Amino acid sequence: MERISPHQFMTLGAAVLMGGTFLPLATFVTAAGGRDGWMTVLPGLAVGIPYGLMVLSLFEQYPQQNLLLISEKIFGKWIGKILGCLYIFISGYYGGILLAIPGIIYEQSIMQFTPRWVIYLGSLLLVLYLVKTGIEVFARFSEVVFPIVAIAMVLNIGLSIPRIEQGELMPILSEGLKPLLFGALKVIPFPMEYILFLAGILSFLPTGKQELGQLKTGVWRAVFLVGILDTLVVLIQILVFGPAETIRLAFGFLVLGKMVEISRTIAGVESIFLGVWLGVLVIKCCAFFFMTIWGIATVFNLKGLKWNVAVSAVFLGIAFGIANRFSLTKEASFMESYLILPLATVWIPTLWGVSRWKDRDGV
Amino acid sequence: MRSWLKMFKELTIRPKGERQIRKSPSYSSDENLTKPLSGQVVKEILSKSSDVVFREFFLQGKERIPCIVAAVDGLVDKNLLDQFILKPLMVELVGHPELAKVTLSNVVDITLQSLLPGLEIKKISKMRDAVDAILSGDSVIFFGNLTEAIVIGARGWANRGVVEPVTETIVKGPREGFSETLRINTSLLRRKIKHPALRIISLKLGDMTNTDLVVTYIDKIASPDIVSEVFRRLGTIKMDSMQGNAYIEEMIEDNPYSPFPQIAFTERPDVLAGKLLEGKVGIIVDGTPIVLMVPVAFMQFLNVNEDYYQRAMVAILSRFVRYIGAFVAMLAPSIYIAVTTFHQEIIPTDLLMSISAGRQGVPFPALLEALIMTVTLEILQEAGLRLPKPIGQTIGIVGALIIGDAAVKASLVSPLMVIIIGLTAVASYAIPTYDLGLAVRLMRFPMMILAGILGFFGVSVGLYVILIHLLSLRSFGVPYLSPIAPMRIRALLQDTFVRAPWWALKRRPQFMDVKEPRSGGKR
Repeated sequence: MERISPHQFMTLGAAVLMGGTFLPLATFVTAAGGRDGWMTVLPGLAVGIPYGLMVLSLFEQYPQQNLLLISEKIFGKWIGKILGCLYIFISGYYGGILLAIPGIIYEQSIMQFTPRWVIYLGSLLLVLYLVKTGIEVFARFSEVVFPIVAIAMVLNIGLSIPRIEQGELMPILSEGLKPLLFGALKVIPFPMEYILFLAGILSFLPTGKQELGQLKTGVWRAVFLVGILDTLVVLIQILVFGPAETIRLAFGFLVLGKMVEISRTIAGVESIFLGVWLGVLVIKCCAFFFMTIWGIATVFNLKGLKWNVAVSAVFLGIAFGIANRFSLTKEASFMESYLILPLATVWIPTLWGVSRWKDRDGV
Repeated sequence: MRSWLKMFKELTIRPKGERQIRKSPSYSSDENLTKPLSGQVVKEILSKSSDVVFREFFLQGKERIPCIVAAVDGLVDKNLLDQFILKPLMVELVGHPELAKVTLSNVVDITLQSLLPGLEIKKISKMRDAVDAILSGDSVIFFGNLTEAIVIGARGWANRGVVEPVTETIVKGPREGFSETLRINTSLLRRKIKHPALRIISLKLGDMTNTDLVVTYIDKIASPDIVSEVFRRLGTIKMDSMQGNAYIEEMIEDNPYSPFPQIAFTERPDVLAGKLLEGKVGIIVDGTPIVLMVPVAFMQFLNVNEDYYQRAMVAILSRFVRYIGAFVAMLAPSIYIAVTTFHQEIIPTDLLMSISAGRQGVPFPALLEALIMTVTLEILQEAGLRLPKPIGQTIGIVGALIIGDAAVKASLVSPLMVIIIGLTAVASYAIPTYDLGLAVRLMRFPMMILAGILGFFGVSVGLYVILIHLLSLRSFGVPYLSPIAPMRIRALLQDTFVRAPWWALKRRPQFMDVKEPRSGGKR
């Protein structure tokens, strides 16, 4: 049985939590929270912490089992299976949407003349290779890629500092606290995706008491790390573009990359940044691929190469079905707000509550 | 069709978790080797080879005992054989009280205890041992029809001595290198580590070549799991010929189809000693100056022993230069192709104009241009290796100056491309390990093709594929990209990207399971 270390759990979690969030996040939170939208990122992501701790608490109670198996044990076979089917549907469909993101951003930014399916196939090749090599290699991959992504983000932000216009941020809290709430609501689905991933990866986590403590710390660290990075990403976009332009630009961070100029010699390094972003997008897509195959294996006891191929075909089909940036945003928002968020917010606390109740009453 | 499939399977697929095991063929002489030990039978087996000499004489003890001394001319030290074996037994000891007691039943014991001097002298009773000893360069004395004999270590053959290794030259550090003689190599190692925990365990491999090899490690440091895994893998090798380290390397490495080396090698005793002190296991094969070391991590291929003889800051700088060299050697042509074909916006306008001017008249796209130049470079390198040294240098100069210049003048390639390929060639020599250099050269081609087809997206995909491949590799159970992934911060900062001062190197590399993690280092 493959196992991942607490450190790998932290970096993998952070990479999955980040995924492609830094690309559209500024648009979402600025649209909902105005120029104060950047303040909503960290609180919105922090909602994931109690959920993560609940999942780990269940893992402590039922070691080496994922949340689908635990659900079957606690809620009974049929409710467990229904939850499993929902989990498979969400992870499979959202995974397909995630596969479409690299295709669309490459097409929009630096490779307008390259057919989008080539980008899809390239990304899917990486996902399949990671799936073939297993969860350990996937965790190590995130251990290498996530720090590079973080460094690239800091670089991108740092190189954009000369373009800052401080006035864009003022006046702070001019609309009161209410917009912050709406902004945070836009962020909450992202940690819920991470929580759903956590639900599946449980069976690969170490079970020692000391390691369990490290895993809990890992959840905190992942959320705060990504929260701070994403906050900076939103902040720099508001400071450079202003709130109105930030809302208008769907992938403002890519535009920032395009505007980077070093000593008037090297410009438009977005193609290099895109190579790095591809890594984190692949990690998130691969995480959802893993979730789908874990779900299929748990619910239907079906595993092996042919099911991986079938899931790939589904991913590709969904990615091809997304015509452009607008339909991508629409589909992703729909999945995040109406499926991922409700499932995670209801399933995890209920499961945790019932398990505690059963445990206390010895049911 | 089925036979084709079977052949394909045999050639490509190795049973999971096991090494490739081949059934060893049996040779007609093998039947004789199972017979009871006898000088006459050994003579029958070996007398058809003109280099094997048999000296027959009588030992005059209480009984007159016929003796045969067998040895291989050229492998045995004749002077030693004459002075310390034949002369005492035939001349000097005649009339000696101990010799007077000798009968056929006690000749072996008395000879061992009282008659023959010598450190390496032992009794054997198997035919195979006798034949192996003779063919390995020892002398064997047979007594009448006794089924016991005496082996005397009297090996002595021409060797090239201890010289500085050609492939691992350093500026500041010891100059001695391994040679083709196993015992010289073990003695060089023993001079470096004078501790009883150093284990040197002998094995033989190759049914026909009967090659001697030793597995060496430090008992107090090396992980018992890794040591036993080395023995297990060596034990599964069944082949006729074992001509050198490369044979073993391919048979015991974890992933033989990977272009990346998974076993390190050295020609330097100080390097081997250093690695053994880190907890690694060495394999020294007779007949080659190359010593294998396992397990190994990718980053160690970019470090050289001189790092430990230089000041820490200088070593850190050298390491970074090597990392940049490896990066440039693999990616410079692909980046050039991607930038000129897809991402011209990265290039400053002035440089873009000059590149365009240089490419005017060149009929090939950047990809083809780069492929032509890289293949030419590879041919030149290969030709330079095979030709005698003075001509090889000439070929290098002819290739670099004349062909390059002519190609630019004929508008076959642009001047910038010649610079890029030249830079790539120079950078590839900054990679200190030959095997890793080859892997980088190999990777350059798919990266160039990906860059030519898909620009930076292709380069990114190629790099991620290589990264995933490296992450999936293991060397004797140790993840190949350790200590980067799984991450060990202390190891990274101690002796991977940087080389901490000696007084701060308090621990052995943490990514390897070792018995004693601390190595001292306190000031």
